[in-house]
Amino acid sequence: MKHVLVFAEHRQGKTRKVTFELATEARRIADQLGGKAFAVVLGSGAKQLADELKSYPLDAVYVSDDSAVDQFLLEPVVDYLEAAAKTIGPSLILIPNTLSGRDVAGRLIVRLGAGIVADVVEVNVEDGAVLCISPKLGGALVTDCALRPAEYGIATVRPSAFAAARGGSGATVITLEKLAKSYVAAIEQDVEEGATEMALEEAPAVVAGGRGLGGPEPFDTLLKPLATALGGAVGASRAAADAGWVPYNLQIGQTGKTVTPKLYIAVGISGAIQHKVGMRASGTIVAINKDAAAPIAEFSDLLVVGDAFRIVPELTKLIEKVKGNLS
Amino acid sequence: MKIVVTVKLVPDPNAEKRIDPQTKRLVRTGVETVLNPYDEYALEAALQLKERAGGDSRVTVFSMSPEPLRETLRKALAMGADDALLLADAGLEGSDVWATAYAIAAALRKLEFDLLIVGGLTDDSSTGAVPGALAEHLGLPCVTNARKIEVVDGGLQVERETDVGYQNVRAPLPALLTTALTFGEPRYASLKGIMGAKKKTIATTTVGELALELPVGTAGSKTELRSFAPPPPRGKGRTVEAADGISGAQAIFDFLQEKKLV
Repeated sequence: MKHVLVFAEHRQGKTRKVTFELATEARRIADQLGGKAFAVVLGSGAKQLADELKSYPLDAVYVSDDSAVDQFLLEPVVDYLEAAAKTIGPSLILIPNTLSGRDVAGRLIVRLGAGIVADVVEVNVEDGAVLCISPKLGGALVTDCALRPAEYGIATVRPSAFAAARGGSGATVITLEKLAKSYVAAIEQDVEEGATEMALEEAPAVVAGGRGLGGPEPFDTLLKPLATALGGAVGASRAAADAGWVPYNLQIGQTGKTVTPKLYIAVGISGAIQHKVGMRASGTIVAINKDAAAPIAEFSDLLVVGDAFRIVPELTKLIEKVKGNLS
Repeated sequence: MKIVVTVKLVPDPNAEKRIDPQTKRLVRTGVETVLNPYDEYALEAALQLKERAGGDSRVTVFSMSPEPLRETLRKALAMGADDALLLADAGLEGSDVWATAYAIAAALRKLEFDLLIVGGLTDDSSTGAVPGALAEHLGLPCVTNARKIEVVDGGLQVERETDVGYQNVRAPLPALLTTALTFGEPRYASLKGIMGAKKKTIATTTVGELALELPVGTAGSKTELRSFAPPPPRGKGRTVEAADGISGAQAIFDFLQEKKLV
């Protein structure tokens, strides 16, 4: 592993913040390895995103706007990533630890004979070896895992683990040669639902609601305005998702998403272990609960015992006044 | 239709997790273990497809473990799977994701199937890379995170969840699927199922029988765990009783200002 290659995940040209985080981190790691930093952008809108990436400290951005990438499920992505990796030579490949990222990474380890470390939050280089720090078992342990010396290694990286910073002197954009392959897993329809303007895993602030909210409406009328004021996103406990109050893609916890925002506000969430493992690595945890003895008291930095329906609107007003925005 | 489901025994998510300081591996003995929750959904999907397809459809469960942990498979058989294959070999000890996927793929090549269903993640290590790696090894199309699965004209019609919504995907068989947790609650094993499971066959195989070209276990792994530790403890914080909305809001606001979050 000498160079660093970033898989720039996006959705029809709409960038995911993690892409810029990885581009920034790639430079730092590449400098330590004595190599170069690259990114690969694929599919419709790729050229536009490649232009955006020019202001990040990369040496080159490989691009393909092959329509197969949008028409078929991930196989074309894997093919182009493999092609790019083989073009640049021995490298550490950084892939966002997202749903598609994990699928792509799994296929790529076989193509490249690469080791993989998942859910990485810190990368260190020691004597040319790549060491990855990642939380395991829902955050109960933090592991330091080395990628054994090999041509290729893969790290799936947790969104928001690294800061994005512009820089560099403008990456060269290189178009990848079109691959003449046929694919079988066809995407017939691609639908957005649940109006998640901001990916939960990438939000700097998460305002999550649980059973204590009593129904679906408070997620829109109570939590949404607070999340918006903070520049963050709304999440939910399993109880709220199971009750059908919110779609499952908002569920945080063992069987849902793991989030690590700078600020986590838990509203009417008791804090069962199943929820705790999905959010305990957050920067600051504030809980609002009627019950002073709720388990969440044990891992909150601040617990306010009171009526969330009265506290949250007042808090929203206070934050709107100072235009709180964590991003 | 022949369906294979991979299952894994994982430590009880509510139990204290411990890693052996000598071997640097998760202690799996003396700890309550359960079927990986994600795998139960995979099995539920397989059983539903079998019921719909009828005829001579079969569901085979597969598991891999350094120790012969037959309980995992017994529970899956009690839920309704027809038979099981267990790859049990002490030589698998210490296998990382790469070595695990390599060994599982080799064992699965011994089974004939139209559909391979894999849990989306494992509850203990959660790399999420095994399904993709298996698809690649076995040359199968891979559709992950399925919440609705139908077999139409000999192919799969799948509704899969994405980070922002869902996709409808069409793929030919044989294929690999992973199930989303929204697929539907896994069934409980009935008493009849539990009794019947005792008579079902659990075939076993070993690494030697697979005649692998590459090593597995620690020697075949491409990563090495150097150290592990619990994260720094998060001490119990402050508790404030809020008499009304305004005082509660002010307490939080002051705290956020103190932490420089607003």
